[in-house]
Amino acid sequence: MQITLHHAHEARSMRILWLLEELGATYELRSYDFFNKSLRSEAYLAIHPAGRVPSVEIDGKVMLESGAIAEYLAEQFPDAGLHRGPDHLERMAYLELLHYAETIGQHLANLTQGHIVLYEDWMRSPTQISLETKRLAKVLGRLELLLSDGRDFLLASGFSAADCAVGYGIWLAPRFVSLDKLPHVAAYRDRLMARPALQKALPPEGAKRIYSKDFYEVPDV
Amino acid sequence: MSATLHSIAGSRSFRVLWLLHELGEPVEVVPYQIMDGSLQQEGFKALSPARRVPALEIDGRVLIESGATLQYLCETRNGHSLMPPVGNDERADWLQWLHYAETLGAGIQNLNMQHLFLPKPEVRSLTVMGIETKRLAIALKGVEKALADGRDYLLTSGFSAADVMMGFTLSAARHYVRFDGFPHLPAYQARLEARPDYQAAQAAEGAQQFYTQDFYELPEA
Repeated sequence: MQITLHHAHEARSMRILWLLEELGATYELRSYDFFNKSLRSEAYLAIHPAGRVPSVEIDGKVMLESGAIAEYLAEQFPDAGLHRGPDHLERMAYLELLHYAETIGQHLANLTQGHIVLYEDWMRSPTQISLETKRLAKVLGRLELLLSDGRDFLLASGFSAADCAVGYGIWLAPRFVSLDKLPHVAAYRDRLMARPALQKALPPEGAKRIYSKDFYEVPDV
Repeated sequence: MSATLHSIAGSRSFRVLWLLHELGEPVEVVPYQIMDGSLQQEGFKALSPARRVPALEIDGRVLIESGATLQYLCETRNGHSLMPPVGNDERADWLQWLHYAETLGAGIQNLNMQHLFLPKPEVRSLTVMGIETKRLAIALKGVEKALADGRDYLLTSGFSAADVMMGFTLSAARHYVRFDGFPHLPAYQARLEARPDYQAAQAAEGAQQFYTQDFYELPEA
């Protein structure tokens, strides 16, 4: 299987880069700068009409949407054990978490837009940023509840592609919401950070990043 | 025992309700409203810890996340062709569209927030409204492009659960983006809305509670 991943450091495509590493897959990586116009080039728009990452070319066929790609790749590499098939006891939890990753991801995208992409105060809505921060805390609260039975990963049966999908958001979340009141989420994040495959998905030293601050305060309303 | 759908009329819940109708599954609808506090009741929190709809009680469990719920229903019900199985040529496309509907859904949610739910005009961000409208239009172009070869539905093999995800999304998007520039979208939307199960689901859902106008113009800067 020939796989090419189109990627920008610290963007959602990190989910797929991480997953490919977890799967032990062979792939080609094409990296783009999130802030210049390289994602808007004619050549890239021919692959992804909305100019977003990730996109993946699998044996010449283009696939968009990190959640769909994660599910598909995990299906294609059954021996890696990161998939939970229709007969698995945790099938529904697996599917739900793959989608829940974007319920979290949407708030993170809105906060990234509010804090970073909109660089002038007059462009922003502090009310929206404040609401999105609260909503992010709430969706993380649900994971705290899930992890509070002491499980190491999101599924009781162990690490899965859902951890890559949701884990990207968990990696990113402390830049917007303190994890002090979410001890199980914080410990889960530490476990994810200890995985060599996640470390390989992080930007190399000196690379241009989306997130330059450790924490983004909500502006005064 | 029949299924119970916790729903807000006009929200993503409609996807689940419509699919249940396509499958011929009986369902009882429990209605909620966004602004009246009904989502904050303890009983509902026990079902959906992040207090979001849809939440579907079925097969002795509670399902959240509309995309995951649709996939679960397709996998656990027989005698339909709403999902290409693993290994099928259209599997990747189906997964992609299932998730792509939520790329559109995220844009709509952000525009709903700005146009409908932020209480005072001065707390909105006109920049965000402009960007989100443009991004929604670009994402719709991806759907238009797929339909440009004359296919009736997202998959060339015919109607599937991916259309159920997308159908709701298109009717919501139309409040913010005019379809004049998209020759194939209106006919596709009309094809979906003409389905008897779409109409039966609409009747079962009741009147939507979000939009009081057919179209929301961007406010003047």
